[in-house]
Amino acid sequence: MSQKIRLSWLQLSHEKAKLFAAIAGVMVSVVLMWMQLGLMNALFSSAVMFHDRLSADLVVVHSQYESILRSRSFSARLLYRLRGSEFVEDVVPVYIGTTDWKNPSTGGRKSIQVYGIETQKLTLSALGVNEHRQGLREEDTFLFDRLARPGFGEVPQFIADGQEPEVEINRRRMRAIGVTELGSSFGVDGNVITSEANFLRLFSQRRSGVIDLGLISLSEGAEPAVVRPQLQAALGKEVQVLTREEFRSLEIDYWQKATPIGVIFSAGTVVGFFIGFIVVYQILYTDVTNHLPQFATMKAMGFSGRYLVRVVLGQSFWLAVLGYVPGTIVAGLLYSGLKAATQLPLELSLLRGVALALATLFMCAMSGLLAIRKLSSADPADVF
Amino acid sequence: MILTDELVISGQEISFWFGEGELRKQILFEVDLQIQGGEIVLLTGPSGSGKTTLLTLIAGLRTMQSGSLRVLGMQLSGASSSLLTQLRRRIGFIFQAHNLLPYLSALQNVQLMFELHPDVSAVEGRQRATEMLERVGLGHRKDYAVSRLSGGQRQRVAIARALVTKPELVLADEPTAALDGTSGREVVNLLRSLAVDQGSPILMVTHDARVLDIADRIMEMQDGRVGAPTH
Repeated sequence: MSQKIRLSWLQLSHEKAKLFAAIAGVMVSVVLMWMQLGLMNALFSSAVMFHDRLSADLVVVHSQYESILRSRSFSARLLYRLRGSEFVEDVVPVYIGTTDWKNPSTGGRKSIQVYGIETQKLTLSALGVNEHRQGLREEDTFLFDRLARPGFGEVPQFIADGQEPEVEINRRRMRAIGVTELGSSFGVDGNVITSEANFLRLFSQRRSGVIDLGLISLSEGAEPAVVRPQLQAALGKEVQVLTREEFRSLEIDYWQKATPIGVIFSAGTVVGFFIGFIVVYQILYTDVTNHLPQFATMKAMGFSGRYLVRVVLGQSFWLAVLGYVPGTIVAGLLYSGLKAATQLPLELSLLRGVALALATLFMCAMSGLLAIRKLSSADPADVF
Repeated sequence: MILTDELVISGQEISFWFGEGELRKQILFEVDLQIQGGEIVLLTGPSGSGKTTLLTLIAGLRTMQSGSLRVLGMQLSGASSSLLTQLRRRIGFIFQAHNLLPYLSALQNVQLMFELHPDVSAVEGRQRATEMLERVGLGHRKDYAVSRLSGGQRQRVAIARALVTKPELVLADEPTAALDGTSGREVVNLLRSLAVDQGSPILMVTHDARVLDIADRIMEMQDGRVGAPTH
């Protein structure tokens, strides 16, 4: 039976104040769910900004490696051993270190993460790396992370003005020749990319050939997952060979275990869901209760129980749509505000959008179905 | 008046009780009744005489307990609830209070009945509802919200709603109870003339003495029993 009269909508929109209260309730719920899931995802993906920009097929780390912030060094000679393999096109060593950065404007000190990497090869697809290949070959040059948290001084502004500001890093004067984007994360406020040679100048206590990561690019046609066991066997037990995906999920797993972020934000999402559920249930329950005489009349006139259920579920549907759309817009505005303030990678992703739309529909439909139980008390015999 | 031999309502020895066990109270005592096609029958009697209970049984809104009752060719004794719903779609109802949906306009209230008749298109439904409102004298008020209509006007919308699908039987429960004398008179006259045009029989419960003259036949109920029919 197709509805020629939009009874659900007419009944819902009849009382404007109640309609707006219900829509606001669903909106709050949708915004909360977006925020919780978005922040959780942003926090985790901020930890793998560097990982996501690597162009290597396989990554070699120490066997006790836990996180990029807790890497253990190993000998580059192991890595160079792979150059003989027919599957390996090239290998690139990466040095990672943490040191002091002196704010050029205030003189305050801040901790910064430094990556020493051979940029002459296609290893890192981060912003600026390609353009500044030449410049990074020069002595004491580096790229500064413009997504760094505040407190490092106005280095990006100077660079934007065409200058190459000098900064004191680990008590050494270095020249910022460009910007890159890696972003802040757990325990990392900002990043610097420099060449292998400059890294070793900066960290005088580090020895050449003792590296933190080894990047492997494979020959054409070689499958990372297939080649990996053979390379692992060639390298022995001191190091482990990971695919890029494994390297990435290892980092996320580490932070999931090391921090209660997953639990906190999942709980927040569930709270958001229930806020919406309860608001919609309250509104639909009062609506059904207030309209019981009309529902009883309709039953008496021959409308089936199923038709009336459809009227209530239709209202659920309208509330879901009218709450989801503006809720998502508000979440988008909050995302861009927070992104500007925290540099967290907050995105309204399509996948999460679809999942949240389904969750909103489910939430409204469940509240509707719960409210409908009241319908059975509409006894059509009472209308006479 | 066009009477047909076919019986629209035929009941034998209908008895009905409310409550259970000790508190069980008999409301109807072996009631017999018959209504022919095209007939307009009034059911009167003091309150508590069982007339409304009888009406709800005929409407298929209560389960038959004892006796036999055929309405529009369907045996209601032991009928399933979905069959009873089917039956009610063939009946036009007019209630004591107008029972219109307050959030719909007059026209939408009348149009709503075509939701039960999927074979009627939206355009045709709208047209028939408009015509019916014109016939009850509310063509110029069709888009008014129900709350902006007077009591008499609302009951006229209710009549339009009851008759717009050309029901095979009209059941009315005290349609004039909430109206003053003049509007009450207008409403029953309108109901009668429309029902006669469509050939729909009417069974109307009323104790409004002012409207008894519209009936072809009056049935008097007293203490759950039907008295001798008066003509």
